[in-house]
Amino acid sequence: MKYRVKFRNIAAGICLATLSGMVYADDTVVNLALPTAASFYTNNFQSLKSRSFNSPAYLLAANEADAVQGQAGVTPVTPAAEFQPPWMSGRKAHQYLGLGTVVFAGLTALTAPSREGCDHNCPPASQQPPRQTSGTTHTRLARATAAMAIATVMTGLLYHWDDFHLEDGWKDPDNLHVMLASTGALLMLYAVNKSAKSSVPTSHAGTAELGAVAMVVAIKLTW
Amino acid sequence: MQKKLKVAALLLAAALLGSSAYAEAEENIFGENFVGWLFNFQRTKGVKPVTDKQYQDECGECHFAYQPGLLPAKSWEALLTAEALRKHFGVNAELDNDTLKVIHDYAVDNAADKSWYKRSRKIAVATAEGPAPLRITELRYISRKHHDIPEKMIRGNKGVKSLSFCDKCHTQAAKGVYDADTVAVPNYPDWDD
Repeated sequence: MKYRVKFRNIAAGICLATLSGMVYADDTVVNLALPTAASFYTNNFQSLKSRSFNSPAYLLAANEADAVQGQAGVTPVTPAAEFQPPWMSGRKAHQYLGLGTVVFAGLTALTAPSREGCDHNCPPASQQPPRQTSGTTHTRLARATAAMAIATVMTGLLYHWDDFHLEDGWKDPDNLHVMLASTGALLMLYAVNKSAKSSVPTSHAGTAELGAVAMVVAIKLTW
Repeated sequence: MQKKLKVAALLLAAALLGSSAYAEAEENIFGENFVGWLFNFQRTKGVKPVTDKQYQDECGECHFAYQPGLLPAKSWEALLTAEALRKHFGVNAELDNDTLKVIHDYAVDNAADKSWYKRSRKIAVATAEGPAPLRITELRYISRKHHDIPEKMIRGNKGVKSLSFCDKCHTQAAKGVYDADTVAVPNYPDWDD
């Protein structure tokens, strides 16, 4: 059972990492097609035009009055298509993961068991039913929240690395965002880990809630 | 069960409070105060778009009407005087006194250090100390954001020419949105940040 849970967590982590990787790959598309002689010519046509080529063959191919008048280092003008922002990007994935983490954290809090253990006339610990640390909606949501929090931090580091500068000081909204969100994610991870490893009722809700609040504040600061 | 109800009630209250604040914000971009900003769900990641028609028309006649949130108030104080406008980056951009007052007041009232928009707050924090910066492109934040873009894509690009033409690449600059996802460099359709 324990191994199954571990396997499930690892699988969830791999899925999220794959998702981030796919988005990253989508952002940095590599052209793996082999170059052809024709593509070499068409790819380099603009740069060939911009250099003063006097070869009659190139002049004939260019077939434009200004084909040989371009200046080195000047980008030729090409008609622009109407710009459509991408529906998904690394930055958007980071945004959705962050919002998802907060929603999952809220759901985790809502599904928490009303009270663990007992206050009066309690049976000895050996006679109490074993504490459930997996398999419940609460524990599943908690683990999903922790996994999303990690994915959020990872995508943030990947796609917003250049927004974080220590020289701007702690008042900078992006610096605050990084500090609060990372702390929030760590607090949530700590709470999940603490609860999962304990066979007796353990206080972890406060830590997790503090982590979730830190994440909410982090999001708000850069929203 | 009671705890769940409490949490649900809190969430509901927050949602109601937020939606009412949002409705208010639709009218008046949440009044640029902390409470308004706190309960507003509208995205304020960029800079506040220009809302003053006179500012838009007068400045936009010669160049992109830069949002006041791109510079701190001390910069606008230095830039928008009758004397400074006579030598406005090498060009005489004199305005009559009434127009100048409207533009000056609008720029100062909506400057980076008076805005809750994220990029404005970043600029305000970075320019709090030291002399008033006079060029947006010389702000540390702005120059750092553009430092890895090759010269051929800016000065050597007929579709851009200079970093000061924000709207050439930032397709939603007029709305105050400067996200990397909305950037399209003319003549470099495949370029990605």
